[in-house]
Amino acid sequence: MIYFFDGTKEGFLTALVVAFCDENAFLTSKQKQLTLGEDCMFISADAQKAKKAEARLLQADKQSMSDLTTLLRSSDPNNAQIAFRYLQLVAKEKKPVRNMLANGDVVAATECMQRVTWELHRLKGFVRFMESASGALYAPLSPDHDICDLLLPHFRARLPEFPFVLHDVSRKKAAVYDGKNSFLAPLDRADVLLSADERAWQSLWRKYYQSVNIPSRERLKQMRGYLPVRYWKFLPEKFP
Amino acid sequence: MFDFCFSLRYNIRMISEEKLKILTEGAKYDVSCSSSGSGRKNVGGMGNGYAAGCCHSFTPDGRCISLLKILLSNDCIYDCKYCPNRAKADVTRAEATPDEIASLTFDFYKRNYIEGLFLSSAVTKSPDYTMERLLLTVKKLRTEYRFHGYIHLKGIPRADMALSREAASYVDRMSYNVELPSEASLRLLAPQKSKESLLLPMQTLARDAQIFRAEKRKGLFLPAGQTTQMIVGASPETDGRILRLSQSLYRKTGLKRVYYSSYVPVVHDSLLPDLPVGQLREHRLYQADWLMRFYGFSAEEIAPTEENLPLEYDPKCAWALRNMHLFPIEINRAPLEVLLRTPGIGTKSAYKITEARKYCKLEFEHLKKMRVVLKRAKHFITCNGKFYGAKQQSAIKGFLAAEEQSNSAVQLSLFSDGNNAQKALTGQL
Repeated sequence: MIYFFDGTKEGFLTALVVAFCDENAFLTSKQKQLTLGEDCMFISADAQKAKKAEARLLQADKQSMSDLTTLLRSSDPNNAQIAFRYLQLVAKEKKPVRNMLANGDVVAATECMQRVTWELHRLKGFVRFMESASGALYAPLSPDHDICDLLLPHFRARLPEFPFVLHDVSRKKAAVYDGKNSFLAPLDRADVLLSADERAWQSLWRKYYQSVNIPSRERLKQMRGYLPVRYWKFLPEKFP
Repeated sequence: MFDFCFSLRYNIRMISEEKLKILTEGAKYDVSCSSSGSGRKNVGGMGNGYAAGCCHSFTPDGRCISLLKILLSNDCIYDCKYCPNRAKADVTRAEATPDEIASLTFDFYKRNYIEGLFLSSAVTKSPDYTMERLLLTVKKLRTEYRFHGYIHLKGIPRADMALSREAASYVDRMSYNVELPSEASLRLLAPQKSKESLLLPMQTLARDAQIFRAEKRKGLFLPAGQTTQMIVGASPETDGRILRLSQSLYRKTGLKRVYYSSYVPVVHDSLLPDLPVGQLREHRLYQADWLMRFYGFSAEEIAPTEENLPLEYDPKCAWALRNMHLFPIEINRAPLEVLLRTPGIGTKSAYKITEARKYCKLEFEHLKKMRVVLKRAKHFITCNGKFYGAKQQSAIKGFLAAEEQSNSAVQLSLFSDGNNAQKALTGQL
């Protein structure tokens, strides 16, 4: 049976309760091609069921809910199923299972979470702000996983005196810090009027990037491994 | 007209592209770029430390950009033979003002291009004058610009210790380069520097830092410690000697890291080799350095004094092959220190194994699933009593060397000049 849910944490926990004893369960919130003869069920979030499940899981493992939110942010087509198998194990064992590293479900969940946190770490480096005429900073990004709001605390701690916008252009939403508060808002597209010397700073940065390279030691494959091409479109040093 | 007004208003402190180019090219052979180890807080203003370190970009040579690596000046009174900025070299000279460096750092950091500043300088006029200018720059950044991001400052040998001490109270990390692995080489190639002029400030700052922490004084004093760098292959010292030097630096001065820079001939001199050192040698030295810092090995175990590290396989494999009587080890019982000494098993895999075996008996298949790399390890372990490697030592050697050959990243570095590497990539060799 395929269980569709709305992608929220509540929806997932409801589906978890409903599908718990189904050995052939497959949980998903993403579009999926159905093969003939497959049964499917649409689960609508049930606050009470979800709350109960959450309490039970938290009792077994205090970190289970933060693991779940990380897994739900993943763009892996099987992320919900991976989370299902992992939390099912937590519920059955009634204790944290993250160190049962020889277990396939734990390995799958760990790796799925690592891909999300790894991208988060990478983006802390790869985000590029541009300065607008008003002095606010704007950074477009299109991460693989849904993490733009997780970047907020990092940049807020660094730039407390500058309002900034982290715009996830593919998910059409933005994490905003207005100088006092931070929040998440839908944002389709943004027109940014650049400050007078923004282009000059970008050009200086490009100059630096070219000058610090040692051409006789070219290792492009290694560079692309560390800095995958999909991130280049927002990096001024990679603009032609 | 319009543009002109703006440039007058905004760009007084903006460094010119030409100057940036000269001062960056003078600094780029310095290897260190790490921004880790400091948890400096933002206390009003901009920036903080990020203890894990953070890479912001990668250049086509495969190196990361974390810090803005730049010289304050490349106009040097010293004449170190290997240095592109040496006094007698025919290069364009430039000097930045402290404000130019500070505003460059500030505006790059604001846009998240960099994690902080790595400031170094040629010795201009005198060591004291240079150190004063460096101090002025970092002080300006911390107080006027209220910048709390990472700063790594290069110390100037023979400068007044009072200046270095004051600088240390503003920056996160300081480093004096030991440059060459022996005093004889230093005398030959860098006659104005001496072993003492390089080691003494390191030891003084290490002691100061100890006192600072013991007395629990307010503020920070080199929270990310000290590092150093030496050039490999410009002089005849063996890897065995180099590693012993590193080991004593780690033990006696509490250095965080020693960087090895394989010699690139940027200057021609009869005292220097004409050929660059293969990057494979540099790679092996780093592997050995890691063994000393994270795997509990001593320099004596890794290489005899007058020998180089073998190029065919990594230093841990080489050690294991010399000590075959200790292997194979049983993965379900071996203590952590023993796991760490097994070829192919790194710190992460060793940790995974010790955790996972609490829950079940580990078989070969389990290790595969946990993504423990077994290509090398299988010759040195048993899983629940079963052995999956080669039986004879000669066969193991063959496998390990072949394994290393197939590792393209390492193979590439065998061809240390760019042209050949390109050919190797496209299959022309």
